[in-house]
Amino acid sequence: MTIADGPALPKLIGERVKRREDPRLIQGQATYVDDIKLPGMLHLAFKRSDIAHGVITRIDTSAAAAMDGVELVITGTELADHLGPMPIGTPFPAPDHFSVATDKVRYVGEPVAVVVAEDRYIARDAADAIEVEYDELPAVVDPEAAMEADSATLHEGFERNIAVESYWGGTGVNPETAQPEDDSAVDAAFAEADVVVSQRMLNQRLAPNAMEPRGVVAQYEPGREYLTVWSATQNPHILRTLVAAMMGLGEHQVRAVAPEVGGGFGCKINIYGEEYVAAALSRLVKAPVKWIEDRTEAFLTTTHGRDLLGYIDLAAKSDGTITGLKARIIADIGAYEVLLTAMIPTLTGLMMNGVYRLPVVRHELTEVFTNKTPTDAYRGAGRPEGLYFLERAVDMVARELDMDPAEIRRKNFVPADEFPFATQSGLVYDSGNYEPCLDKALEVADWQGLLAERDAARAEGRIVGVGLSFYVEVCGLGPSAVVPTGGWEHSGVTVERGGKVTATTGASPHGQGNETTFAQMLADHFSIPLEDITILHGDTGVVKQGIGTFGSRSQAVGGAALISAAGKAGDKMKQFAAAMMTDQEVSPEDLVFEDGRIQVEGAPEVSKTFAEVADYAYVPVPLPPGMEPGVSEEAFFEPENNTYPFGCHISMVEVDRDTGETKLLKLIAVDDCGNVINPLIVDGQVHGGLAQGIGQAMFEEVVYDEDGQPVTASFMDYVMPRAADLPVFELDRTVTPTPINPLGAKGVGEAGTIGSTPCVVNAAVDALAPFGVTHIEMPLRPERMWRIINEGEGGQS
Amino acid sequence: MEIKGEQDFNGPRELLYELLLDPDVLSAALPGVERFEEVAPETYESTMRVGIASVRGTYTGRVEVLEQSPPESYRLRIDGSGKPGGVRADATVELSENGSGTTMHYRADVKARGTIARLGGRLLGGVARLLIGQFFKSIEQQVDDRAA
Repeated sequence: MTIADGPALPKLIGERVKRREDPRLIQGQATYVDDIKLPGMLHLAFKRSDIAHGVITRIDTSAAAAMDGVELVITGTELADHLGPMPIGTPFPAPDHFSVATDKVRYVGEPVAVVVAEDRYIARDAADAIEVEYDELPAVVDPEAAMEADSATLHEGFERNIAVESYWGGTGVNPETAQPEDDSAVDAAFAEADVVVSQRMLNQRLAPNAMEPRGVVAQYEPGREYLTVWSATQNPHILRTLVAAMMGLGEHQVRAVAPEVGGGFGCKINIYGEEYVAAALSRLVKAPVKWIEDRTEAFLTTTHGRDLLGYIDLAAKSDGTITGLKARIIADIGAYEVLLTAMIPTLTGLMMNGVYRLPVVRHELTEVFTNKTPTDAYRGAGRPEGLYFLERAVDMVARELDMDPAEIRRKNFVPADEFPFATQSGLVYDSGNYEPCLDKALEVADWQGLLAERDAARAEGRIVGVGLSFYVEVCGLGPSAVVPTGGWEHSGVTVERGGKVTATTGASPHGQGNETTFAQMLADHFSIPLEDITILHGDTGVVKQGIGTFGSRSQAVGGAALISAAGKAGDKMKQFAAAMMTDQEVSPEDLVFEDGRIQVEGAPEVSKTFAEVADYAYVPVPLPPGMEPGVSEEAFFEPENNTYPFGCHISMVEVDRDTGETKLLKLIAVDDCGNVINPLIVDGQVHGGLAQGIGQAMFEEVVYDEDGQPVTASFMDYVMPRAADLPVFELDRTVTPTPINPLGAKGVGEAGTIGSTPCVVNAAVDALAPFGVTHIEMPLRPERMWRIINEGEGGQS
Repeated sequence: MEIKGEQDFNGPRELLYELLLDPDVLSAALPGVERFEEVAPETYESTMRVGIASVRGTYTGRVEVLEQSPPESYRLRIDGSGKPGGVRADATVELSENGSGTTMHYRADVKARGTIARLGGRLLGGVARLLIGQFFKSIEQQVDDRAA
C-alpha cells in the first residue's frame, strides 16, 4: 500500500513565516567569529596611525617585542615580504595599497605595525608600546580643495588627487574615442526651459556600523599546506579567491568560512588588510591567530559609505515636464581604492534617470582621494546618492512651479507600456508600473488629508511639513558582464535519506533570512514540511561555489539558482519514484509533489512517499537503467539583466521652534520588489532600510577636522537612529514581477535607504519653506534647523 | 581648536612674568607634573600625568619658549603625547597692567590627535579648562606668597 495519509501541507511562499534564524540569535546560541577558539591560538593587535598624512621616519618595536607574551612584532615594510599590494575589484587605475603601511600613512587608523601575542590584552599593550615617528604632511580633507593645483597629494601618479574622471552626456560618449560627442542638446534643453533649479547638495559620509564589528581567525596548517579563514564577511567565496591569490595558494588550499555574521550593510564586502595579515601571520608563526575589531577601529578603518557632493541642475517646462538633467558629482573616496570603491559612485550617475523620461542628461563624475578612511558600498551603494540628488531636485522644481510633488512625478513617469525601458545612462529597466504604486502610497498616506493636517498645524503656529519621494533602484547584481567577480550564483540541493533536504547557497546571508525564505521555496517545491529542510551557507568547504550577498541579490540571483537546482533534484526524485511504480506504468512526467508524496497528478492513491523514494535513491536495488544512485544536484544561475524595483515613500515631520529638533511623525512606504516569498522578512528588510535612510537624513555624519582627525569615532559623537526616533512605519506594496528570473522577485534589501532619505528631507524643506529655504543639508541637526528658523524669522521681521 | 581666556592676578606683571617662566614654579603649579626640566635654553621637557576619563594617561612633552618680550608677552610651542594620543599647541601669553594687578590674556591653537582628537570638543575643552583653572590657582597662590 503506498498511500500516505500525511496532513495537507499549506503553501508557504507568500506567507509570513517567522525567521528560523532568530531563536538562536536572540538566545546567545549563535557562533560569531569571536566565539571561535582554537588550541594554541594567538591574538593580533594593530598599531595604527594617529595622524592623517605623513611619512613614517622611524618605528621602534623593541619595547613591544621585549614584553612577556609577545610572539612577534612586524612592521609594514617587513610584512611586505610576505604580502603584496591588495587587489581591487574594479577596472579603474589604483595606487598600491598595502595591508600595513610601508612608507607613508594616509588616514587616521591606517595600520603601521602588527603585534602577535598570547592574548589580546598583551597584544594591545604591546601595540601601544610601539613608537612611531612621522614627518607630517598637510592633510587633504576637502575634496574640492584636493583638486586644486596647490593641494598636497596622497599618491604619486594621481595628480590633483583625482582617481577617476568620467563624462557622458547628450548623445553619449563615442566608444571609439571615449570622448564626449556633441551634447549641445543638453545646453539647448536648459536654454529653452521655463524653469531651472540648481543646487549644490552633499550626500554626507556615513559609517556603516554593523552590530558585529569585523573579525577574523586564520589557521594555516603547514602539514596539510591548507589555510582556513573564518571572517565576518558577506562573501566567503570572494574572500577565498583573494586570500588564496595573496598567499600564493590555489583555491583548493583555502577554506573560507563566514559563521554567523552580525550585519554587513556593504562594509563587509571588501576583503580587508587584517584578513590578509591574519592569514600571512598564521603561516609565519605556525599557529592560528585571531583579530577582533573594536568599535573605535570600526569607525576608523571599516569602509565608510556615501560622501558625494552633487552640483545638480534640473530643467522643466512650466507644466512640470522635465526636459533635462545636469549632474556634476564629486566623490570623496578617502585614502585608497579598496574592493569596489571606485565603482560605487558610478552607480549614482547610472541610476539618476530615476523613474522619469529624461530627454537629455549630462553627467560628470570625479572621484577624489582625501586623507580619510576609504569608502566602499554602504546599503544602497550609489543609488541613495543618485536618487537623493534627483528626488530633491524634482521636489525643488515642483516647489518653484507650485505643483503637487505627487503630480509632477506622475507627469514624468516612464509609462507602464514602455518597459523594458532603456535609460539615458544605458540601463534597461526590466519592468515597472509606477502609477499604481504612487496611487497606493497616496491612498495609504491619505495625501490630501495629510496636507490638510499640515496646514491646520501651521495655522496653530507649528512647523510641520510633508514630503514624498519616488525611487527606482537596481538589484539582483550581476550579470557577470558587470560584476568583476562574476555575477551568477550557485546552489546545491541534496535529498537525504529519509526524505529530508539539505540545500546550499553561495548567497551568504548576514541578516537576510535565507534559511527561512529558501526553505519556504523548497518546502513548496517538494511539498515537504519546512522542518525537513536545512539551508547551509557561508562555508566554501560546504558550499561548492558562490559569489556572495550584496546588491539585493540573494533572492533574485541566489533564489533563482536554488529553484534551478531544486528542479533538477525533483526531476531525479520523480524518476526514482516512477521506477518504484513501474508496475503501475507511471512515467516521471505524470508525477507531482503533493503533501509529502510523489504522486500521479490528481491520483494520490498512485504514489510513493517522498521519504520512501529518497531511501530507494540511496539503496537503488534494482538501479533503474541509465541512472546514478542518490539525489544531489546543483545549479548556477546567470541573470541576463538586473532587476529594477521601485517605490514611493511619504513622510511628515515637525520641527520644534525652540530647540530645532526634527521629529518624524509619519513614514509611509509602498515598495514594489516584485513577487514576495515572505512578507514578514520583506517588511523587516524595509524597516531596517528605513531606519538607516532616516538615520542619514536626520542624524548620522562622519566628521573630520581640518587636520584629518576623525571627531565622530564613537557612539557618543556619531548619532545612530534609535527606536524612539522612529514612528510606526506604515508599509504596503504593489507587485510588478520581473521577467529576469523564474521567481519574479526583484530584491528589497536596500529599498528603505533609497526612498526614505530624500522623502524625509523633502518634508523638512516643506516644513521650513515658510522661512525661505529651498534646500537643507543633511543631517537635519537641531542646530541647523534652529538657525534656519531664527535667521528666517529675523530676516522677515 | 582654540582655547582662550583671561585671568587677573594681584601682583605686578614683572613678578608674574618671572614666575610663569620659572621651571620650579611651573613644575609645582602644573597639575600632575612628575618632571619638568630645562633641556636646552628656553626648552623644557616634562612628564605629566592626567587622570581624567578617557584622556587618562602619562604624557611626555616638550615646551619651547619663543618670542620673549618681558614683561609683556611670550609664545609657547608645546608638543606632547601619551597613549591616548597627542597634543600640539601654539600659545601666546600677554600680560597687561590693570591698575590693581596684572591681567593675563592667553590664546592657544591646539591640534590633537588620537583618542584626544576624537573626543574633540566634547571633552577636550572641559579638560583644558579644568587643568588651566588648577594651574592659575596655584600661580595665584605663589604670587600672593611672593607679594606677601
